[in-house]
Amino acid sequence: MASQFSGALQLTDLDDYITPSQECVKPVKIERRPGKVGKIRIEDDGNYLEVSEEGEETKLEKAKITLNDCLACSGCITSAETVLITQQSQDELYRVLQHNSTVVQKLVVVSLAPQSRSSLAVKYNLSLSQTSYKLTTFFKNLGVDYVFDTNYSRNFSLIECCHEFVRRYKERENDKTALPMLASACPGWICYAEKTHGSYILPYISTTKSPQQIMGSLIKDYYCKQQGCTPDQIYHVTVMPCFDKKLEASRPDFYNDIYSTRDVDCVITSGEVDKMLEKEKLNLAEITDSPLDTLFSNVINEDLVSHEGGGSGGYLHHIIKYAAKQLFELDIQNIQYNVLRNKDFQEVVIEKDDQVLLKMAIAYGFRNIQNIVQKIKRKKCQYHFVEIMACPSGCNNGGGQLRPESDETVNERLIRVNELYQTEQTLDPFDNSNVKKLYEEWLNGQESEKANSLLHTQYHEVEKMTNALNIKW
Amino acid sequence: MFRLEEITTFTGHNEAVWCVAWSPSGSLLASCSGDKTIRIWGKEDEKWVCKTVLTDGHSRTIRYISWSPCGQYLASASFDATVVIWSRKDGVFESIATLEGHENEVKAVNWSSSGSLIATCSRDKSVWIWEVTEDEEYECASVMSSHSQDVKHVTWHPHKEILASCSYDDTIKLYKEDNDDWTCFDTLTSHDSTVWKICFDQSGSRLASCGDDQTVKIWQEYVPGNEEGVLTKGNDSVWKCVCTLSGYHERSIYDICWNVETGHLVTACGDDAIRIFAEDSCSSKNEPKFNLVTTVTHAHAQDVNAVAWNPKIPTLLASCSDDTTIKLWRIIE
Repeated sequence: MASQFSGALQLTDLDDYITPSQECVKPVKIERRPGKVGKIRIEDDGNYLEVSEEGEETKLEKAKITLNDCLACSGCITSAETVLITQQSQDELYRVLQHNSTVVQKLVVVSLAPQSRSSLAVKYNLSLSQTSYKLTTFFKNLGVDYVFDTNYSRNFSLIECCHEFVRRYKERENDKTALPMLASACPGWICYAEKTHGSYILPYISTTKSPQQIMGSLIKDYYCKQQGCTPDQIYHVTVMPCFDKKLEASRPDFYNDIYSTRDVDCVITSGEVDKMLEKEKLNLAEITDSPLDTLFSNVINEDLVSHEGGGSGGYLHHIIKYAAKQLFELDIQNIQYNVLRNKDFQEVVIEKDDQVLLKMAIAYGFRNIQNIVQKIKRKKCQYHFVEIMACPSGCNNGGGQLRPESDETVNERLIRVNELYQTEQTLDPFDNSNVKKLYEEWLNGQESEKANSLLHTQYHEVEKMTNALNIKW
Repeated sequence: MFRLEEITTFTGHNEAVWCVAWSPSGSLLASCSGDKTIRIWGKEDEKWVCKTVLTDGHSRTIRYISWSPCGQYLASASFDATVVIWSRKDGVFESIATLEGHENEVKAVNWSSSGSLIATCSRDKSVWIWEVTEDEEYECASVMSSHSQDVKHVTWHPHKEILASCSYDDTIKLYKEDNDDWTCFDTLTSHDSTVWKICFDQSGSRLASCGDDQTVKIWQEYVPGNEEGVLTKGNDSVWKCVCTLSGYHERSIYDICWNVETGHLVTACGDDAIRIFAEDSCSSKNEPKFNLVTTVTHAHAQDVNAVAWNPKIPTLLASCSDDTTIKLWRIIE
């Protein structure tokens, strides 16, 4: 099976096979049962049978390595994909919905990423809002209670990034790791940084949670309290353009120990949603429309709106505008992107009287990440902020997006997804009255202690393993 | 008949010598070893001597070395996951850059014919292309994860910007720049086991490969619209295996080198032998025939790791081995 993770993760061996010299060395906990053990027989189908002295046969369970074991280990990831498929997949969503249909136990909430909407819309020749209306119907018919939009939680990610940047900029003289601030929304990049570059890169990464995880907090904290239920009584599913988002949702940082529940319980990709449509033998274009659940959708009146600055969230765009205003009282209207080494490496410079005030870059794909990381390591990075994403061309090209079926090339499809994505109207997150209101109601205002604790996270260096198995020439 | 005559033996390395490389002018020979050093050998008053030892560049085995086409730089690839670029000024070598990024052991490094690109490959299964900027900075231009296993070698086409790599996954892959990034445009399968080394001939239309399956294979390029009628796709050439030399080698073949002048192929083998093959006079492009013209059975006391023809003196050959020595040979007809 070909790996579907982003390139950066493949290089970190977050992959579904073990190379001959990189055996998994994670000790597996074995449940020992008391009593005599008989023989073990291996069946032709690969099953192991334990045969007791009385001749009784019991099938032995396979030793399982969880995703968390893998994430905490700097060796390889053995069957990360297999683990993900059992823990986070459309099958798991079906299982939960099936269980719910017999005994109503959990409120099921789905949050759709805008890039996934765009990918599905292109395949079915729909507009972005039509896609939302139809997906709402599709999920509700399956037993989902609410369908929300992660553009809504992205408002919080963008606002928090802007505040964080200005704060770090002001601290840059005293804190040498304050700048460059590196974007934090891409889990492939975070995982790569934690496993490979540890302590010398992690302090530069913005602590702001990604839109997926802010949606998680919104649902499992604010919404939960509103509904008068406990976090484990809500099953929260996100639809994402990216497989790496499954790893993000599985991070211990986003796990609630008290209620044994995750902020995001299950992540399915755009492609997996399409598989669900296939399974139900439905054509998305033919499904009737349902009104949006506007509570947590990014809307003006009833219309969906997005953000400026491209298909990967527009972090640079928002930060540079906000910082220019806050730090230099400059109103930036047009942001000029200069393409550098390749189209996935572009920079924006804000100058005044021949003096560079702000210099920021986007760096997508592993090759460009490499150059940024090496420059930071050598203290030669001139940028104040870098919008880093693991996938070449950014999130609209995520590994979880639909692939073209006919003679259309991957690149042609990507252009269409990008173009459609840009058609949505935009609204500055700072001008969104719903968001302002929620900051007050939920977080005691912007830059409050509660906003800092609920909307930010931390990163953990994964120590390099140094055992004999890993050192092979 | 041909025979190989030993000219001299260089001793100095304390561990296996992995690679020997002649400078483009043919005056210097560089060698690298498990002892983490690079030695530069040259002639002084008609006598071969070790001119300098480069230490402190790497913390583990140095697996491969390569001269830039201008001869001013040397790149070394090491199991410490880095590549070091050495600059030669007035006979003194100075480390000027470290290329970091590979997850683990770097297996090979080579310069493109223009000298502006460097390719590296690693046990981490990836092939990287680095661009040399004007201010001698080295920036990553591409990371390609086409191979499913350890990549053993990378080499450039002698005059085009086409890259070839070979791997533990038994395949050879060819890459070109396409729409802002590098992509693999062809995968050559025929070897039954690890492909250790690949080498273009002087024209660039032939590729020789050797490996764990104890064979040498010759691949011929067929350009779009070729007169043989071999199917191609788009603007890319296809490469077909036109000759397999089997039954000559008794162990893995670790290195193969094409003589730019005579077209002779020399192989380095795990059976301690060096063999030379010459193309038959009645050989044809589509079905070439190569004959074994000489074998030195105990060329070294242990595995021969690498062989290299001198680029200017076509009769001069260098070899190196697990036995820690380097030997110079003269081919005599």
